[in-house]
Amino acid sequence: MPLSRRSLFRTTAGAAVPLAAATGCGRALARGPDLSHVTEVPRGPVTIRWWAGRVAARDGSDLRPVLVSAFRRKYPDVTVRLIAAPPTTDVSRATLTTQVASGSPSPDVYMGDLAWPAQFAHNSLALALDPLLPKGYWQRYPEELVRALTYRGQVYAFPFYLDEAFLYYRKDLLHKHGLRPPGSWEELAATATKVQRAGDADFGFVWQGTVYEGLTANVAELVADAGGSILSPDARKVTFDGPAGERALSYLRDLITRGVTPPSVTTFVEQDSLDAFTSGRSVFLRNWLYAWGVADNPASSQVAGKIGVIRRPGFEDGTGGRSCLGGWCNYLNPHSPNLGAALAFARFLAEEEGQSILARKAAVLPPLLSQLHGKAMARSANPAFALARDVRLVARPTRTPEYPMVSKAVFTPVNEVLSGGMSVRQALTRARGDLQAALRGEAL
Amino acid sequence: MTAPRPTGLARRRARIGWLYTTPALVVIALVTIFPILYSVVLSFSKVRFTFGGLHVEEWTLGNYTTMLASPAWLEALLFTVGYTLVTVAVEIALGIAVAVLLDRLEAGRGWILALLLIPWSLITVVSAQLWDFLYDATFGAVTWLFGLVMDQPPVILGTPVPAITGMAVADIWKTTPFVAVIILAGLVRIPQERYEAAEVDGAGAWTTFWNVVLPALRPVVSVAVLFRVLQAFGIFDLPFVLTQGGPGTATQSLAVLGYKTLFQNLDIGMGAAIATSTGALVIVGCLLCLRMFRNQVDEGGAA
Repeated sequence: MPLSRRSLFRTTAGAAVPLAAATGCGRALARGPDLSHVTEVPRGPVTIRWWAGRVAARDGSDLRPVLVSAFRRKYPDVTVRLIAAPPTTDVSRATLTTQVASGSPSPDVYMGDLAWPAQFAHNSLALALDPLLPKGYWQRYPEELVRALTYRGQVYAFPFYLDEAFLYYRKDLLHKHGLRPPGSWEELAATATKVQRAGDADFGFVWQGTVYEGLTANVAELVADAGGSILSPDARKVTFDGPAGERALSYLRDLITRGVTPPSVTTFVEQDSLDAFTSGRSVFLRNWLYAWGVADNPASSQVAGKIGVIRRPGFEDGTGGRSCLGGWCNYLNPHSPNLGAALAFARFLAEEEGQSILARKAAVLPPLLSQLHGKAMARSANPAFALARDVRLVARPTRTPEYPMVSKAVFTPVNEVLSGGMSVRQALTRARGDLQAALRGEAL
Repeated sequence: MTAPRPTGLARRRARIGWLYTTPALVVIALVTIFPILYSVVLSFSKVRFTFGGLHVEEWTLGNYTTMLASPAWLEALLFTVGYTLVTVAVEIALGIAVAVLLDRLEAGRGWILALLLIPWSLITVVSAQLWDFLYDATFGAVTWLFGLVMDQPPVILGTPVPAITGMAVADIWKTTPFVAVIILAGLVRIPQERYEAAEVDGAGAWTTFWNVVLPALRPVVSVAVLFRVLQAFGIFDLPFVLTQGGPGTATQSLAVLGYKTLFQNLDIGMGAAIATSTGALVIVGCLLCLRMFRNQVDEGGAA
């Protein structure tokens, strides 16, 4: 049984305290959710609503119904009604926050971005989970991931699935020129230039450079490759403007001035960069795990069968490549009247049963270590899955409720560097000011 | 003399009148006045969502001082004002030209008008998506056209000036027909005798246009300007679809800034401050327009 009565009594007594501590002050704030009814999954029929976006299977179908029916086999009394989340992350957040903040009991469980815990915890939109779980519960997930889900000592979301960035390349073109997949960013630029000079590809390397979250992800991992970070681990100090930041931005800018990356990268989101790669115009592509499925499918790609994937390399004298941690989690709505069933469902998805379904069928990675490092991963048709166990992850600096402003303070000046409107130094100075203002809660 | 005292009947009628309009007034108060007041009040607070609902942490002028000191707000303000002035000016000029042309048309005015109104009838989010395809840096038709005459076509939505221009073009394309229709309504009301009188006085086409047609059009032009300024100042959908406010913050309008502050940052107080100040600016702008309008009607009447 996932929940024992004893652990729940302990829980009930202690639950209000951390919640009040998390919200910080005031009498009115001390009124947390009533956790006395987080008993075992209730007997008798109960319905919970799950707000979730599409979970892509390897065959292109949607895994949400599969997961729900597997859960219902274990808990036949619990009906899970699926609410389709809007496909755009920001729209999903706007709808959820308005709904949950106004005290709506629906959805009971919602799928949310990995970048949200601090902001959602700060605004009482998600339930703190540690009081509901046995000690040591989080050890079964990657450390970097659990850290990203933690705000002021409490974890606020159940890991659901992971995404990581990889480097995709044109195997056929490298082979034709007798070149190997690059071992460093510098080598990548040289390799791409050779292939471009021979007229075999318009672009050398495409990635995501428009003003949005994706650019922050690109920058976060490249800065980590250069041995630096954007914020200190506790998200209190700005560290972006050091030599690592300078190296990362100079590298990106040089890619464009040297013609390896097209100037249009300043308008690229994932799909644009993927289009450039699948249409055969680019030698290299930085993208998430799902890109393999699209780029290696003859129906959607002109380069199917001609591509390879490696872990992101690092800088020449650096400590190797990092990959940005992305993914989705399940949060509990503190206003849910069915917290018991909601908790059981979120745990089911995060633990062995749900995760093994993901490992066998999903186009995304299961965060549960036993599955992430399991045999199903190594056997997958997507070679990126087998690479995943050795990927070194880096989280975006999401551990502050001001993260949207932090991200904006990064992607806005970097985008201007890419379009040539600002020098690297100017951008770092500007970013430093904006990041500090963001952390003070004074950014706009 | 004092006003005549209302008779009993008139008073009773007034009372019944109030009685009948009360439901409507209550609805207006609830859906219009209350939200406005609520957002003005919130703009002076620092609030946070809590389990029990919105919690005011303090009453403060901080939102406004932070906003006024913020380069992001200033940039958004400059963009919004500049964009409004330029697009409205071009739309009015083009709208007058189109209206004059339509006014001269003998046959086919009806269906040409219908054709012209197609851009206006499209939902902006949809037309913005179409423009997005046209401007696409890899396979956009406009980019391709530039490529024919330039070595290196600009990345339209990724470079500040082309992005702003492209957005203005999309806006002008959509709203010029609207302006033209309003102005056409004014044109057809100019009596034929005025044209004839101008002709008798020996005025050429240009002189007639400047001294007869344009002055007579002033009231409708003012109405068109008023409508357009109101809409252009709140521009949201075009940047939201085309650029998300980029490149950098080159196309971040006040409305986009407010949206991001409210729904991405969950900064209710600051979002309310942006909304309130934008509303105040629009009201001032419209009052100025109305003042102009009134003066010009007086002038027109005196002339």
